[in-house]
Amino acid sequence: MTERIGLFADLHSNLEAFDACMEKAKELGVTRMVFLGDLVGYNADPGALIDRIAEMVADKKAIAILGNHDQAVFEDHRHQMNASANAAIEWTKSQLNSSQIQFLKDLPLMVQENAMCFVHASAHNPADWNYITDSMSAWRCVQSSGKTYTFVGHAHEQALFYQSAVGKLIRFTPHPGDEVPVMHHRKWVAVVGSLGQPRDGNPEACFAVFEPELEVLTFHRTPYDQFTAADKVRRAGLPEDLANRLITGK
Amino acid sequence: MLINTDIEAVDEIFQEGKVVDGFVLGTEVHRGGMASLYSATKEGIDVPILLKIPRVGRDQPVESLIGFETELTILRSLKSPYVPQYLGSGNMATRPYIAMERVEGRPLEDFIKEGKVFTIDEVVKIGADLAQAVQSLHAQDAIHLDIKPENILIDDKGKLTLIDFGLSHHARFPDLLAEEMRKGIGSAPYISPEQVTGIRSDYRSDIFSIGVIMYELLTGELPFGNPQSMSGLRKRMWAQAFPPRAIRKEIPRWLQEVVLRCLEPRAADRYQSATRLRQVLRDHESVTLTERADRVDPLSFWENLKRMFRAAGYEPSPSPRPSVGNDDAPLMIAAIDTRQSDEDLRERMQTTAKNLLQAYPESRLVCLSTIASTPTFEGNQESETASGIVRGHLVQLMEWAKPLKLPPERISYHVLEALDPASRIVDFAKDNDASLILIGASHKLPNKVTPWRTSMTKIVEEAPCSVHIVRT
Repeated sequence: MTERIGLFADLHSNLEAFDACMEKAKELGVTRMVFLGDLVGYNADPGALIDRIAEMVADKKAIAILGNHDQAVFEDHRHQMNASANAAIEWTKSQLNSSQIQFLKDLPLMVQENAMCFVHASAHNPADWNYITDSMSAWRCVQSSGKTYTFVGHAHEQALFYQSAVGKLIRFTPHPGDEVPVMHHRKWVAVVGSLGQPRDGNPEACFAVFEPELEVLTFHRTPYDQFTAADKVRRAGLPEDLANRLITGK
Repeated sequence: MLINTDIEAVDEIFQEGKVVDGFVLGTEVHRGGMASLYSATKEGIDVPILLKIPRVGRDQPVESLIGFETELTILRSLKSPYVPQYLGSGNMATRPYIAMERVEGRPLEDFIKEGKVFTIDEVVKIGADLAQAVQSLHAQDAIHLDIKPENILIDDKGKLTLIDFGLSHHARFPDLLAEEMRKGIGSAPYISPEQVTGIRSDYRSDIFSIGVIMYELLTGELPFGNPQSMSGLRKRMWAQAFPPRAIRKEIPRWLQEVVLRCLEPRAADRYQSATRLRQVLRDHESVTLTERADRVDPLSFWENLKRMFRAAGYEPSPSPRPSVGNDDAPLMIAAIDTRQSDEDLRERMQTTAKNLLQAYPESRLVCLSTIASTPTFEGNQESETASGIVRGHLVQLMEWAKPLKLPPERISYHVLEALDPASRIVDFAKDNDASLILIGASHKLPNKVTPWRTSMTKIVEEAPCSVHIVRT
């Protein structure tokens, strides 16, 4: 059976979106999962989400990477985040038990495997949490990772950067469900999009599936019950704005 | 580019009699600058097979491999009776090939070279068939961008096939030729003005190329010659082609109108879909004649000079997504007053919207709400900032639309800042080519009736489209 890697980033404690994506991934025949960081923050189910991911990691069915929101649970990040994000981190801390926090502390910043590199923000100084938004930041990331395929999150919108004839990396906005050939003589950086807090105006959860042998990458969007997730955010007493973001996807 | 050096062994892999991934290679049927073509057979495939192998190696231009990769990506995704069927491919790095259906027919180029004189009817038929073939690409969000007689095969029944997608663009795949150093790649006589400037995403470029081909078949001449320099290529951004009727008198005026309209420098002035072009070619009574139909003389020196200066600021028209070329996807606007709390009216508007959307499966709904103005400063609370206020309204619009259960591609939400909501809604409808505005009129707000009535009257009077007023 050919390998199918499910790529999920910026899950942000959104259990409804997580469950919907796991189900979709199963349907798509995903054989292994990579969680590209920011498991927690913003939304209402940090503990449950960590427990599910920790179990998959323990069973060797998944790799999980550290994100800046995960780090903010055990290190001071207050000056790098906005008020709503900070409020959510403070709340998250109160919800997690010591083993859940330990799980976050043990997450690696970056994992490299064969032709692939998995990292939350950018392979270029990963601990600086630089966004990949343009050709230059994508190029720096590729230079540092040295790998054919680099998979990241952090920036919440799906994008695929590919190397052009002149070496420059060009941004492509993928269309969900289309299999994009990603031939291995070029370098690629895929921003898989946010599972738990999409911001492109479409509330559907983002993820991607990579098939290394077939050299095919497919971006996906999955509808889920964003109204329930938003209700939970409100009931947890988290900032109203975070609930609205889930409903609007903005 | 990082291309595996194993690739130099390609010439040894692909030889007559050898077997590659089950494909038994036959004779080499063609050797071009970019690729070689072999006939082939494979068990289980009953159509004749053609293997396309890129010419690679140190002395080959890198475009030949990028073109190959582009063709592979696009051909693999296309389903069209006017395109060879994709049958398989080999690893790009070690044994690159594309296997496709070997289509019967001769390139249109051969007929031209033989000096064939095409009758008016023949040209009209080729033009209409080409438009249909091109439309089948555009409907799949692909643009050929290299429509020329060499790339059009015609079989003995007159059926036409488009080949060679090495320069094509597909909106759903990364454009590997984007931001190429060299602008205006393609075949000099046939590429559109916007292609000359490096734009590869305008499907109306294909309509320009069809115009060039029809012109050539009708007159035996190329409308803008075969320039070899950038300045020569730029001429098509302003020049008018010599009127075809001045070369061949029997060309009907309507056909000159159609051909010259395809050749308009600005894409927005051409036919806006290949379907439309096919329609006018098949039913010439529907052609609206303009001065293009009456041109007999070339432009004067002064007129040309004026057009040339205007073209110095040549700005290509914005390029819509290819598949939106068709007009059967009406846009409806639901103007929603988020302050108003009349449940009956809300429900009735939702039902009306639902019914209308069901009537047009390709229609889209825009939920619109206006707000007076947002503060320019950033407040302490997120709900006081501009983005917070707008987001609050967006949430209300989304809650409003929730019962309609529309997929995201059929609905969008806009909160517009406006002092005069009516004019803003009318402008929005104009800018977006809306087909219908849906508004609600409540009887339950006596104190607000006057301003509301003024607003509604204004929308009804000034809207560029139909207005549907929902009453309780």
